[in-house]
Amino acid sequence: MAAPSMAAALAASLPAAPVAAAPSAPTYQAIPSSMSKAIDIEADIPLNIVQLDALVVTKIIKHAREAPSTTAHGLLLGLDLDGVLEISNSFPLPQHHGDNEAEKGSKTIARHQASMLRSLKEVQADDSVVGFYQATTLGAFFNQTLLDTQAIHQDKLRHGGIVIVHDLSQTAKGNASFRAFRLTAAFFDAYKRSNFSTASLISHRLTFSSILEEVPLKIRTNPLLSSFLGTVAEPATPQSTGASALDPSFSVLELGTAGITRNMEQIVEAVEAYRTEEGNLSYLSRQIARERAKADAYVAKRKEENQVRIAQGLAPLPEEDVARLFKIPPEPSRLESLLLLGQIDAYAKSLEGTASTGLLKMYGAKAGSGGDKDSE
Amino acid sequence: MPVGPPSSAIHLHTAASADPSQPTPRTPTNITIHPVALLSILDHYLRRTETQERVIGTLLGVRNENEIEVRSSFAVLHSETDEQVAVDMEYHRTMYELHHKVNPKEVIVGWYSTGFNLNTYSALIQNFYSQETAPHPAILVSVNTGVEEGQEAGVTAFISSPVGVYPKPENCVFVPVPVELRFHDAERSGLDLLTSTAATPSLTSPQPVADVEIIERSILSVQSMLDRVLSYVQAVLSGEKEGDAAIGRYLMDTLGAATEDLEKSGFNSSLQDTLMISYLANLVRSQAEVSARLALATAP
Repeated sequence: MAAPSMAAALAASLPAAPVAAAPSAPTYQAIPSSMSKAIDIEADIPLNIVQLDALVVTKIIKHAREAPSTTAHGLLLGLDLDGVLEISNSFPLPQHHGDNEAEKGSKTIARHQASMLRSLKEVQADDSVVGFYQATTLGAFFNQTLLDTQAIHQDKLRHGGIVIVHDLSQTAKGNASFRAFRLTAAFFDAYKRSNFSTASLISHRLTFSSILEEVPLKIRTNPLLSSFLGTVAEPATPQSTGASALDPSFSVLELGTAGITRNMEQIVEAVEAYRTEEGNLSYLSRQIARERAKADAYVAKRKEENQVRIAQGLAPLPEEDVARLFKIPPEPSRLESLLLLGQIDAYAKSLEGTASTGLLKMYGAKAGSGGDKDSE
Repeated sequence: MPVGPPSSAIHLHTAASADPSQPTPRTPTNITIHPVALLSILDHYLRRTETQERVIGTLLGVRNENEIEVRSSFAVLHSETDEQVAVDMEYHRTMYELHHKVNPKEVIVGWYSTGFNLNTYSALIQNFYSQETAPHPAILVSVNTGVEEGQEAGVTAFISSPVGVYPKPENCVFVPVPVELRFHDAERSGLDLLTSTAATPSLTSPQPVADVEIIERSILSVQSMLDRVLSYVQAVLSGEKEGDAAIGRYLMDTLGAATEDLEKSGFNSSLQDTLMISYLANLVRSQAEVSARLALATAP
């Protein structure tokens, strides 16, 4: 047990950003050879799994449920060790209040974050930010803010940071769902150039499914918590199983389909938004085509004129002022429509899931009631 | 839902106030605790320094009538020696402000301590927290982590009242109050996830879990319950056991519910609806996919 904890201590002493690989005072004893490959100062070992601590699981669920809007988000703290990103703590961030205070809001958030990290460090909690979490409903987590935040993190954080998405509606249905993502290299490249024109999308081969890549995630409970939960969930006396602190719950077996209407509405809304966005895009591209045609016509005309002038022995007129005369608008960004498509897909996927489990439950109930009749 | 061994907690019933003109804050008679608070306490206990015997921290929550809902907690620095005890009050204030900003509904309701010892220092710290929560009384939640031999893990909660001829901060009686685990129904699945993870030998579980798997688990547990009921009923029928009228009534209420409302036509129309939705969802997904791919297509 001594070896990994020392490695963890070493990793903890390193600054989160790979920029300042300060020569840490070599007061540690020699690193055992078994652990030497896990020491990773420059963040060379790629992350292949994210490990979420039980504490973070409950914290995220609580925050997501209590937050007034559906966009509860906060920061994840932890360490990476030998390809495993261990997330051991998290804290919620205050909500934005209106857009006009965005500048002020981001400053308060930065202050909040800094003082929270300082405070956590004092009680020996992990204090290096490894990513953030975001609550969502019905699986649609694609939005501009998420991508912006993750893009900033990917630049700043060790290993680029990850985002954990927690689906509120899934959890309410009885299947607590956590997924970890990070931006793909192709999307990140396009994002850094802030170029989402058609040509750029084609060259990066971007569709909505290639914006984020999923990182495998597992949940971990530490031994102390496991034993504690075991004691709490255990029946109070062997005779009465009902008196445990955790009653069994069967919300998963609910036959009702209350959420479906909302889900359908959201699909319709998303499709509607996508249609508007497509309309805007095609309007813009028509405008571009018109301007370009005008410019081309002008150039052709000028060339013709020049030929005539040359034939008459006159000096040709200049041709380079086209760009000044015709302002061809820049090609519109297709990011928004890409995100909307992703949202439609996510909503439809969650609807599909609900429908299929609904079928399963219906047949299950039918089989159950049929079986009763047979036995009678 | 109790979270500890059977206790001698006092279930207080406040008598009607003798003097209605002076509304004294009620003494809490029931305390509920959210899993987040418990887990934070355990985490803090794990991260204590070697010299620390116990850890303490602040409990945040909501006061109702005469019930206190502990919603979350944070660790507070403190040091105990043979001569003195010190709590980092500045740290406590900063943390409270940070928490308050995110969740303004939660206020300080008391403090927690690990271990099961109540001593003079507990009384002193209690005195400090009583000032923080004034005019409401502060509560103490004592979490026994169960790591010492012969100690069972569990949670107990106390309120305090002064004792002695003269009230002194280091003298007080801790009166146990009942404490329960409480969480919202929607958070239930998260807790299930954790208990099932804790039961695996590796203490880890992969995500995401398929819906079908969870349904299967529930059905299996229903099945085992039915089996138990069946064996009980058969035992009663054959005369091995004496039937309990109360249980019989419960069983009749539960199992007597007719499944007739799931009659044939209802089933079929519901089936058609579900299939339609499934078809629609698939259609939307393929459309979205095609649309995204078309954007990538180049003219030949």
